[in-house]
Amino acid sequence: MSNPYRLWEIQQRSNTGPFCDENDFLPKIFVPKLKEVIKKYEIKYDPKNPVPADDDLADRLWQAGWELFREVGLYNTDTHRIIKVSDEEIKEALYTASDRYWVGSGKDAVLWKHRQVEDTEPPFCIFSPDCTCSEELHYSMCLAFLKEPLLDGFCAPILEDSMGLKILSASPFEINGSTQHIYNLRLAAKQVGRPGVFLVAVGTAEHDSGQIAVSNNEWGVRTSDSRIIGTLTEFKTADTLFNRVVHCHQYGCYVGNLTGPIYGGWCGGSEGVAVVLVAYSLNGLCIYGANYNQHFPFHLNWVSNTTRELLWPIAVAGQAMARNSKLLYTSNGFANAGPMTEMLFYETACHALVSTVTSWHLWEMASARNKFRNRATPLEARIGMEVGHAVARQGMTREQANEITLKLLDKYESRAADAPMGVEYQECYDVATALPTQEHFDMYRRVKDELAEMGIEFPY
Amino acid sequence: MSVEELCQAVETGDQKKSKLLAQKLMDEGTDPLKIISSLIKVMGKIGDKFSRLEIFLPEMMMSGEAMSEVVQILSPHLKRKGAGQPKGRVILGTVKGDLHDIGKNIVKLMLESNFFEVKDLGVDVDSTDFIKEAETMGADIIGASSLMSTTLPHQKEIIDILKELGLRGKYKVVIGGAPTTQEWADDIGADLYCPDAGSAPKLIINLLKTTLKKASMEEMER
Repeated sequence: MSNPYRLWEIQQRSNTGPFCDENDFLPKIFVPKLKEVIKKYEIKYDPKNPVPADDDLADRLWQAGWELFREVGLYNTDTHRIIKVSDEEIKEALYTASDRYWVGSGKDAVLWKHRQVEDTEPPFCIFSPDCTCSEELHYSMCLAFLKEPLLDGFCAPILEDSMGLKILSASPFEINGSTQHIYNLRLAAKQVGRPGVFLVAVGTAEHDSGQIAVSNNEWGVRTSDSRIIGTLTEFKTADTLFNRVVHCHQYGCYVGNLTGPIYGGWCGGSEGVAVVLVAYSLNGLCIYGANYNQHFPFHLNWVSNTTRELLWPIAVAGQAMARNSKLLYTSNGFANAGPMTEMLFYETACHALVSTVTSWHLWEMASARNKFRNRATPLEARIGMEVGHAVARQGMTREQANEITLKLLDKYESRAADAPMGVEYQECYDVATALPTQEHFDMYRRVKDELAEMGIEFPY
Repeated sequence: MSVEELCQAVETGDQKKSKLLAQKLMDEGTDPLKIISSLIKVMGKIGDKFSRLEIFLPEMMMSGEAMSEVVQILSPHLKRKGAGQPKGRVILGTVKGDLHDIGKNIVKLMLESNFFEVKDLGVDVDSTDFIKEAETMGADIIGASSLMSTTLPHQKEIIDILKELGLRGKYKVVIGGAPTTQEWADDIGADLYCPDAGSAPKLIINLLKTTLKKASMEEMER
């Protein structure tokens, strides 16, 4: 935490902040303020340019997000009070925040640094299928992802069962599943020769008890690893989430603030999503003491963020944060299509392209609307990370990125509503060797060649 | 002063104007059934626009609140005419261990706008509380939302407990939420799966119609 001495001062505001009925918080406090700052700072969505190159817009967006966070605060649903942070505290937190962290351990440790807009340093690549997974495939999926060459960090799929028993949040089954999850990860990491790889774990533990149960530097989640702690949509938290915050800071692992502003929900449209993304970064820093923010804005109906109404807020929020802070933040892709479809490769490439050029680090890739068990593979994430590395190294500008984005959108945007759901992991990967089938690999290769023809200069 | 003006006020979410116009229409002796009939069409239109995200949640919420104001004014008049009964009574909540509420809240709003009586139990609701509250309310429907794969089993738990208590036939159990699917609904024996909040009212109305039709056919057969 950048301001560890503030941990308890912030916690105490859950008990002393202004009282508010939960039903009033969003419609009467959050929505009017959001609408006000969008108007005041002249934030205007431009569907023709999903990757705008407008520094002034980015700076205005930063101010809008700051004002929204300062004025609205974060609502604790357990105490029904609003935690508020002053301008001075936000400035102090931004000043004392670190712009880089060594994560992972031993030879696998990686330096994760703040990026700039159009930065030529490649993004930090966290591979994550985000989906749930059946017990018999979990280990193979861990292996398959950990084999990925560009992987800097890994967040494994969520176990649905353990010892043949359904995992139930906040129950003993969750603690048991969380233990299995981290043991699978540790063994897989060792077997592929990456014993100290940076892990964001464990997704199986939705409840604080499961998270706390697996903190262990020998066999569990290490202090060189990370946890992500959610902010409830929108602008809400709860004591179970603060339990995790306190535990992680006292244990000493890295903390990511997980947020998913919803297009069409309380944020309204693209402008609102963009403002809220910025505000959430300040929320993560000041209230959770997060070392980084993990954002997955998504479409209310499609649960995806690869269409232009979501790419625009990602692009402009990235620029706002890069130009005005030294924070670390990851862009979490959510695709409409499922594995082993060309559409998923296009969607991932586009999400990674837009995110990388506008300063984000990458967290790829939830597929098939993140709805179905076993429906994600490392190969779509690989193409995203390869695009990220390529466009950073070639110094791609926002204007160039915008041009390619429009071409890619042409390929899939009209199919967003009825996207193909693809196949499950075991249908396009060899479970024993944890490698893609030839058919799957050939599809990936075809799309990669096509991307190269569009102007993406892959190093290999 | 016309029903059309009132419809316009509700559509734009102008609560104050909606309340004022509804009261004036009542004072002038306008048939409340005529007003309700027009407003149902308006709310249907708003629901459709929201489903296509031509408008967003805050706008729909404002229309819903304006509608509630009007319904409060019309209620006594409708009751005098022997009308105004809700289409159905619903117990709604997010299952135990799950703190997500946006989908559930949208469903609540859309059901209320379609003249359902809804009791919202909030988030992190114990399975037995769904049942106790349904018994107290005399509900037709229990709606259980889950946003996480590790809380999905609680949807099944509600159905299992209903069976064990001999109450399964008394309620229609409707499920929804990001990780839910038709397959899961079939597996656990839910009566209805709602793929998204926007479709919930229509699907629930169809479910109730089918149930009533089936019941009356069984009655005739007897």
